[in-house]
Amino acid sequence: MILFSYLLMSGVTTGALYALVALGLVVVNKATGVINFAQGEFFMFSGFVAWVLHVQLGLNYAVTFLFTIAIGFGLGALTDRIAFRPIAKADVVSLVLATVGIAFVLKGIARVLWGGKGDYLSFPSITSPDPITVFGLMVIPQQLAVLAGTIVILILFAAFFRLTRAGKMMQATADNAKAAVLVGIQTDKIYTLAFGTGAAIAAAAAVLTAPITLLYPDLGFPIFLKGFAAAVMGGLMSLPGAVLGGVILGVAESLAGGYIHSSVMELSPFIVIMIVLVFRPNGLFGFQTSRRV
Amino acid sequence: MAPFRRRNVLLVLLAIAIIVPPFANYYYLFVANLVAIYVLLAIGLNILVGYTGQLAFANAAMFGIGAYATGLLQVRLGWSFWLAFPVGGVIAAAVGLAISLPALRLKGLYLALSTLAFAQATQWVFLHWDAVTFGAGGFKTPPLSFDPLPISKPLGLYYLSLLLAVVLFLFAQNLVASRVGRAFIALRDSDFAAESLGVDLLRYKALAFGVSGFYAGIAGGLNSALLNFVAPEGFDLFQMVLQKAMIVVGGLGSIVGSLLGAGIIVILLEVLREVKGLQEIVFGALLVIFVLFMRGGLVGLLKRKVRGWEEPLRLVSRRVRPKQSETSQTAARTEKADS
Amino acid sequence: MNTGLLSVRNVHVNFGGMKVLQGINLDVAQGEIRGLIGPNGAGKTTMLNVISGILRPQQGDIQLAGTSIVGLKPSQIAELGLGRTFQTSQLFKGMTVLENLMTGLHRRTRGGFLTAGFNLKLRQVEEEQMEEQAWRALEFVGMTQFAERTATELSFGQQRVLEIARTLIGEPKVVLLDEPAVGLSATRLIELDTLLRRIRDEKGVTLILIEHVIRLVMEVCDQVTVLSSGSCIADGAPQMVRNDPSVIEAYLGKELRARH
Repeated sequence: MILFSYLLMSGVTTGALYALVALGLVVVNKATGVINFAQGEFFMFSGFVAWVLHVQLGLNYAVTFLFTIAIGFGLGALTDRIAFRPIAKADVVSLVLATVGIAFVLKGIARVLWGGKGDYLSFPSITSPDPITVFGLMVIPQQLAVLAGTIVILILFAAFFRLTRAGKMMQATADNAKAAVLVGIQTDKIYTLAFGTGAAIAAAAAVLTAPITLLYPDLGFPIFLKGFAAAVMGGLMSLPGAVLGGVILGVAESLAGGYIHSSVMELSPFIVIMIVLVFRPNGLFGFQTSRRV
Repeated sequence: MAPFRRRNVLLVLLAIAIIVPPFANYYYLFVANLVAIYVLLAIGLNILVGYTGQLAFANAAMFGIGAYATGLLQVRLGWSFWLAFPVGGVIAAAVGLAISLPALRLKGLYLALSTLAFAQATQWVFLHWDAVTFGAGGFKTPPLSFDPLPISKPLGLYYLSLLLAVVLFLFAQNLVASRVGRAFIALRDSDFAAESLGVDLLRYKALAFGVSGFYAGIAGGLNSALLNFVAPEGFDLFQMVLQKAMIVVGGLGSIVGSLLGAGIIVILLEVLREVKGLQEIVFGALLVIFVLFMRGGLVGLLKRKVRGWEEPLRLVSRRVRPKQSETSQTAARTEKADS
Repeated sequence: MNTGLLSVRNVHVNFGGMKVLQGINLDVAQGEIRGLIGPNGAGKTTMLNVISGILRPQQGDIQLAGTSIVGLKPSQIAELGLGRTFQTSQLFKGMTVLENLMTGLHRRTRGGFLTAGFNLKLRQVEEEQMEEQAWRALEFVGMTQFAERTATELSFGQQRVLEIARTLIGEPKVVLLDEPAVGLSATRLIELDTLLRRIRDEKGVTLILIEHVIRLVMEVCDQVTVLSSGSCIADGAPQMVRNDPSVIEAYLGKELRARH
């Protein structure tokens, strides 16, 4: 029972991380119709930036958090300008290869700046590293911080989409870009906003989980795949679906890792992606998705 | 006459490739051998991505499957290289065919991601199935000998790679300038129309995957012999990005472009060998730059500037039609104006 | 009883609860030019999609020259002698005009990948034959000057003609045309009219065309079928159909109802 509760907690925490990465992917996809292959690298790079700010420059956690998110947003906006806007109307091959290229550029920069393969940077714990007991479950306070942080971000996000003008404009652009232009929405700005927000979410996730994960340049791609697997479970267009998918993926992976073998955890995205895409390409939950014509 | 026609340029390159190596030192021989291997990878990938329009990311995995198959058949079952090698290619082709089945229903981005996931899973198998694949550390393959030919292994392997590269290059050129090649492009440009003309989509997608799998598998077998070693690292995402960069820089939808792209990328790879991070930056940037500014790749540029670099998708024979006269060409220009 | 070259019996098509086609019957005789008209949303393109195999009907049968084609893949139906064009241009942009036409002969040739790759005799012979036929097809539509142009360099009208030529080159028995006249100028319309007649008279190909340009339909069609809201409401000679009150209501009735 203790093992189970530990695995569950651990799974929910990583699930929250996947949920955030997936959320970032879906935001960009909803607004632009593109999957950003560099999302994992945004996460990784932001993690390193946070390390530089907090560990090397000694800024406190809250300031680090804000700066990292801002820089993350900037990265996203930059990607939009370089790799998306110029070829927004091009075919899928170009769009995908462009974001893949950006991903590798970021990875290379991170490797050059902060160490080669095998060097892991660690981020000191913000909260006390000792586990505490909550409702009979043993948890590490940072895990609670991650969960709390994730919930806050999700709430802010939902509010943004439903209540603010910018959020509604993003929805409109996603549903029908041509009509959006006719109505006077500046789709270019929306695209930048979408990319920036997607990256900012990844950055937030990175800062939240930095104390409990190790940082290395190659961690981007596996995170991206997992985020994608989570997003796909929700049908790639549904924000709540992505979040739910993330949690399910995290928990399933953790349980499989604990009860079967730890190496199985790396296989999870493949299994999920193949099963969902082949059997239920609109996602597992049947959320209403807007049709991409 | 056009002295820089493609045929002349390629013949000159071939001549150099045949004559120079016995006098080159081992390092250059190694790089030249690597180029031949990457040419095979690039051609196979271009057939799948450039001609048939399947945005697949599994080629590096096929490369690995070919290498592992060739190596393991020798090490685990005691087969000779000369048997294990072609069988390795066939195994990779078979895996390619197998992937094409789910691929039939997936397009564009979904295909990209599921093949990426497949590649990730393949890496996982290489890393974790220790009992068979020797796990993360990899394994050494038995030394290759070319007895009874009086030729050293590096030189012998080089000529073998060169021979295969030339033969498979010509095969590919013939293939794309035939009804099969046109079916591939039809599939890419409009699968509805292709089907309405009788092109069986599953069959041609499977063929494209199978052919690219075979080319990658052969390249893998050669690679295992070149390094005398097989390990998971050589077949990861970076390898996949390298291959994509090759076909984008060389030119999507061009067999000759694959040749150019492979050559350039391998040279860059060696030049930047010291710093992996720098390699990643350069190749990533190349991808972005070419996708944005030069979609036709280098070959596209050559086709516009130099005569004799066209790549017709049919067998051009002298017998069928004489050259168009000047008058009918001017008629064509004015005709288009009114409509 | 199946009387025509192409016969459709009691075909029903549903999309997520919506009945798009209900109990359609159609008989097209050999050598006929049949018009398929009706207001937007009547199910005309769906009808073509069902015949060509892109969609599967929930119920009913379709026979082409006596062979049932329901459930077959579109490429198999094409093999049996059905051709079609689409509303939007579906030319192969990566090929020249000549190569586009040669692709139209795909079902008539059989060289496989090994034959092609090793440049065996069969490939050489077939390539030459295909090129010959492609030139003849270009002559039939009077576009030989464009042989080496990329398909995208042609004007809109020329592209439409080329697509029809590409469908014809494989010598199908029946060709489905989805709005061939869309976007054509008056001159081009007359040319299309002539072309369609020549196709029927010189090639003996049966044509079924969806059209909104009623004038063309009245001029060139032997018989006209009218669909409205998924059902067939009229079927007969052009003049008769034109004066049929239910047809008039189907076209105008919607406008009138919309206005109240």
